[in-house]
Amino acid sequence: MTIIAQPAAPLVAPAKSVEAVDPVYRQIRDLVYKVSGIYKSEEKLYLLADGCGRRMKQLGARTARDYWDQLTAQPSRDGELRQLLNEITIGETCLFRSQPQLDALRKVILPEIVAEKTKQITKRLRIWSAGCSTGEESYTLAMNMLEESERLLKGWTVEILATDLNDRSIETAKAGVYGDYAVRNTSDYFKRKYFSTVDEKKLQVRPEVKKLVTFSRLNLQDDSKMLFMKGLDLVFCCNVLIYFDGVSKSKVINHFFSNLNFGGYFFLGTSESLMKLNDQFHLVHFPGTIAYWKPSLKSGKL
Amino acid sequence: MTVSIAETIRERVQQIETMPAIPAVFLPLMKLLSDSGESVKLDEVVRLVSYDGTIAGQCLRVAGSPLFGLPKPPESIKSAVLTLGLRRVETILLTCCLGQAFPAKKWVLDPVIFWRHSLGCAMVCRKFSEKLGTADVEKAYMAGLLHDIGFMVNCLAFSKEFTGAVARAGELEIPLGEAEQATMGFTHCETGQALAEKWKLADDVIDVIAHHHAIEHSQKAQALVALVHLSDLLCRMRGLGYGYYERHMVDLIADPAWAILLKEHRELGGVDLVRFTFELDEAVEGIHALVATVFGSAPVSA
Repeated sequence: MTIIAQPAAPLVAPAKSVEAVDPVYRQIRDLVYKVSGIYKSEEKLYLLADGCGRRMKQLGARTARDYWDQLTAQPSRDGELRQLLNEITIGETCLFRSQPQLDALRKVILPEIVAEKTKQITKRLRIWSAGCSTGEESYTLAMNMLEESERLLKGWTVEILATDLNDRSIETAKAGVYGDYAVRNTSDYFKRKYFSTVDEKKLQVRPEVKKLVTFSRLNLQDDSKMLFMKGLDLVFCCNVLIYFDGVSKSKVINHFFSNLNFGGYFFLGTSESLMKLNDQFHLVHFPGTIAYWKPSLKSGKL
Repeated sequence: MTVSIAETIRERVQQIETMPAIPAVFLPLMKLLSDSGESVKLDEVVRLVSYDGTIAGQCLRVAGSPLFGLPKPPESIKSAVLTLGLRRVETILLTCCLGQAFPAKKWVLDPVIFWRHSLGCAMVCRKFSEKLGTADVEKAYMAGLLHDIGFMVNCLAFSKEFTGAVARAGELEIPLGEAEQATMGFTHCETGQALAEKWKLADDVIDVIAHHHAIEHSQKAQALVALVHLSDLLCRMRGLGYGYYERHMVDLIADPAWAILLKEHRELGGVDLVRFTFELDEAVEGIHALVATVFGSAPVSA
């Protein structure tokens, strides 16, 4: 009996019954990744399918295949992709969205930056939350920096610049009032220490947290304004660039690169990729998260 | 390494003789796996496995687990091969053999964590080499599976010294190999090499075991060593490490191993590392389940 050598297959097949998902969703997943850089993993494929389902209902598309046609055929293509991206990133905004990012920040990056800047006279850390929406990320960063204020960052000035295109979002952000859903990942420790109770269902960030954050309106595509953002140690821009076309995205990323200090880091959303839009940033891994690094002059890797 | 340390390692590894031996089918299976490209091996595999009922039973249990999505568990090794393919069954067998070779109770490291890392690394090696279009995908799998066997030697032959190294690594959140060097004066690379030589493993696999943390010393199989080194790092950054936070940043593309691998496989330049990382995350759950099936209920030898 002859057994022909099998093509190499992964030892571990994906768990659960992914087979139940229409293969078209994998095609949609790949399209979404190509266009936006958002990757929905196998286990989250059902979320993508749900998002598509809601869009299909609105459009009256009967099958996933019909919906695929709407996503790929002109003239509906661009608009529909945007709608779908909205659907699949909805509900991702909350405080403490990515613990691995915060761990990388506090355990690896801050000690490094502090060591690097130790000889400078003014000890200043500048962080930019670009596309801050309603402020969840900005305040999360502020609280984590406050946690370090008596240790690593003792004697340091921390500035968090938070910008968004949308005035209404900024107003909400400034108020700093959040419901249960937004604080679902926030530990009791942080809730007690940095929030006051508004009512049964709402918490408000305390003034000492707000003091660290400056909110303002900024269009990331406004080149002249982008040039003014200087001397940053960290840039966070989560689920914002996914809506940009390749050319604009590339332009914004180039700005971020020049806005950053040498040795600075740029973070995207947790399932988001820069693709190959910039070859100056180094893609780097920390436990459970990735970031883009502008090499320090010392590293000789620029 | 001084002569006396090398001597101690050799002596202690020789004493592992008294420890539970490696199943008799392991080495012939390894050999079969190394001879890639052969198509008629089914009878030989079946013959080998029939010597060891425990291994055969465990293999069938893994093959019947939800991971492989078979409608019902295969009744014999032969039918497992027919449904899953020879290569896959061989690697399952190899994995089961290793689980048998080392008893659970003598461990300093949590065996579940150890096997998750080893299997994770094996899987990443395989996926990587598939992307690179290398002929010897199974060799890569095997090298990944075995790269850290030195930790098993340390558990068995240097348990007191190794306990100190593990504690130090966890406390300082540094790579385990660094902690070994600092507390013991040698690492799992040296002890693993001694065991691999005793087992008479293939030269290139020995090279991987001995030099996956110091590629510059590798001579026989530099590209394979580089592949395992990168996969090892990636696993440790994506939840398949040694069970504690490793405080460091990993820049895979700037790692010398990347350049070595790229020299031999131009395809590496086209690999989307971010997507590759996200795909690895998809497999983590499956690896946990596989380890539970293979090692979770493995009988503890006397």
